[in-house]
Amino acid sequence: MLSKVSNRLKSLTGKDAAAWAMNNAIFLVLLVLLLVIIAISPDFVSINNFRNILTQASTRIIIALGIGGLIITQGTDLSAGRMVGLAAVISASLLQAAEYPYRMYPDLPMLPIFVPILLVAAITGFFGLINGFIISKLKVTPFIATLGTMIIIYGVNSIYFDRPPYGAQPIGGLSQSYMDIAQGSINLGGFMIPFLVIYAALVTLFIWVLWNKTRFGKNIYAVGGNPEAAVVSGVNLVRTILTVYVIAGVLYGFAGALEAARVGSATNNTGNMYELDAIAACVVGGVSFSGGIGTVSGVVTGVLIFQVINYGLAFIGVNPYLQYIIKGLIIITAVAIDTRKYIKKK
Amino acid sequence: MKKVLALLLALTLVFSLAACAPKPAAPAAGEQAAPAAETPKIGVTIYKFDDNFMSFVRRAIEKSAEGKAELILNDSQNNQATQNEQVDMMISKGVKSLAINLVDPQAAPAIITKAKAANLPVVFFNKEPNADVLKSYDKCWYVGTASAEAGVIQGKMIADAWKANAKWDKNGDGKMQYVLLKGEPGHPDAEARTKYAVEEVKNAGITVEELELQTGMWDSVKGKELVDAWLAKHGDKIEFVICNNDAMALGAVSSLKGNGYFTGDKFMPVVGVDAIPDALEQVKSGLMVGTVLNDAKNQGGATSDLAINVANGKDPLDGTQWKFDNNKAVRVPYVAVTKDNIAFAEEAYK
Repeated sequence: MLSKVSNRLKSLTGKDAAAWAMNNAIFLVLLVLLLVIIAISPDFVSINNFRNILTQASTRIIIALGIGGLIITQGTDLSAGRMVGLAAVISASLLQAAEYPYRMYPDLPMLPIFVPILLVAAITGFFGLINGFIISKLKVTPFIATLGTMIIIYGVNSIYFDRPPYGAQPIGGLSQSYMDIAQGSINLGGFMIPFLVIYAALVTLFIWVLWNKTRFGKNIYAVGGNPEAAVVSGVNLVRTILTVYVIAGVLYGFAGALEAARVGSATNNTGNMYELDAIAACVVGGVSFSGGIGTVSGVVTGVLIFQVINYGLAFIGVNPYLQYIIKGLIIITAVAIDTRKYIKKK
Repeated sequence: MKKVLALLLALTLVFSLAACAPKPAAPAAGEQAAPAAETPKIGVTIYKFDDNFMSFVRRAIEKSAEGKAELILNDSQNNQATQNEQVDMMISKGVKSLAINLVDPQAAPAIITKAKAANLPVVFFNKEPNADVLKSYDKCWYVGTASAEAGVIQGKMIADAWKANAKWDKNGDGKMQYVLLKGEPGHPDAEARTKYAVEEVKNAGITVEELELQTGMWDSVKGKELVDAWLAKHGDKIEFVICNNDAMALGAVSSLKGNGYFTGDKFMPVVGVDAIPDALEQVKSGLMVGTVLNDAKNQGGATSDLAINVANGKDPLDGTQWKFDNNKAVRVPYVAVTKDNIAFAEEAYK
């Protein structure tokens, strides 16, 4: 990032440099924040910290890429966190170790890991379809539509979760092979690369191709930028919106299955409010709520920025309550700057 | 103008970070200057910072570790994933031991895996991992209470007070007609308190009759509404109000007051659990018979003692008054609080 900054600065005149600095103010602020963190705690610069931040960002990147796509279509999704929770609970309940005494399904044979993961992705994909249907067919605004499904999904999850024989107990005792898919890592030339980072990279690649190299990708930008014009030029509005919500749902399901494995247990409260983190990350990464604007790299950067802040502030020991204030300020600053750019373009 | 505005926003951010940073930075600098006085770093997580009871435990930990260890405190925000991340961060920061207040007791294995990999000792506190999980790692222990005990102590208190006050048996039938406000159904504390409190009263040779038992979800407002309804239904037939926690007991007291109790001769015995400051006031003024103290001070103290000992490579119980039970757990006793020993309970919050 530093070399990029200096390269850009060299190629620009003074006035342009100032304009560039304004357009990238959020990155500059973050650079300063990073420098402050490092100044306070020089041992922040370590491979271990770097790896922790990347690993912790992984499931969040998957969720944020789901949400990012539908924000581009002028949508939003409050039900994302609850879908993550539903997926986490169901996949955990199906992948408890055979010898664990409190299994939700005492007689369930050990399933191949991909079966529950595909199942939960299908379930959350279906809820995504419902979201898309309510929004595109019933014409309910995304905020209200997904507010409704958020509550419904929590109810569904709680009913599934709080059942005999053991009632509302956290679902633990996950099989080792299941936890390994999220907690394990692979040795690549001396570097331990966590599996989670690899999944996030693959999902990122997939979404990048989808947004940039396919007709569907062009359609979501068209729908988000100007829905009427998109329809006139032959874009199927309903199908585009349905698809973008289904893809988001599938991604939440995958993230939820990983989240349970990463934590080692799940409850009906897993994933609570994750959608807000994801929306904030998208917004900080330059995805516009007005629709039509947003990039994969922006979303990923947004998530990483938040993770650096989360991790960095905790690392240097900033009071937890103050961390909330700082995060809030960063979101507002990012959007304030973003809006300013947007107005300028018009 | 807009540039100035954006710049101001940016500066605010940087400033806000800079403003809050010096505090934690200062001891770090001091430590480098005087390595002789170096104390071990200990990583502490609290499941939720704004939990009433845990905030007292947190304060007790801080107080007890003062000058003996450098604490890194984390708010896990009631999210186990957050807590796991904080543990990674603290390990990377080079702590010498971990004191973990789990968000989800089932998640202990994941924490132990991380600690094992870094060869770090772990003291779990307040939320108890399964016994076999504790056994899976030789460097982990638990500090907490025995959840049955609060009920047993509450039951004893009820029995003693009942026997000492013959006139509380208003209808003179020799039986204690009670109503019970239960906590969240399925919550281990609620189940244990309900079961053992009543059992203990029976063990003391008192015949009981349950008029009502419903969940007030630990909540004052729900507790008040239920007691309102019960008073309307049973009136003076109710002879004792047993509550799983103080919040519901306070609700019960306010309902009773509204129905003309605690004036003149009209009295109703109410007991709770937790000994929160509000409830202590009620005990003092005689509106509650008693409550049970979950001893935050000693829970925090024991946690900090164990964590510091193992951080220094000593035996966890070295120089402390505590003992392990069969499950590598220190059980801090609950204490019955009535008007007679209220000063002791008040001391716990100082």
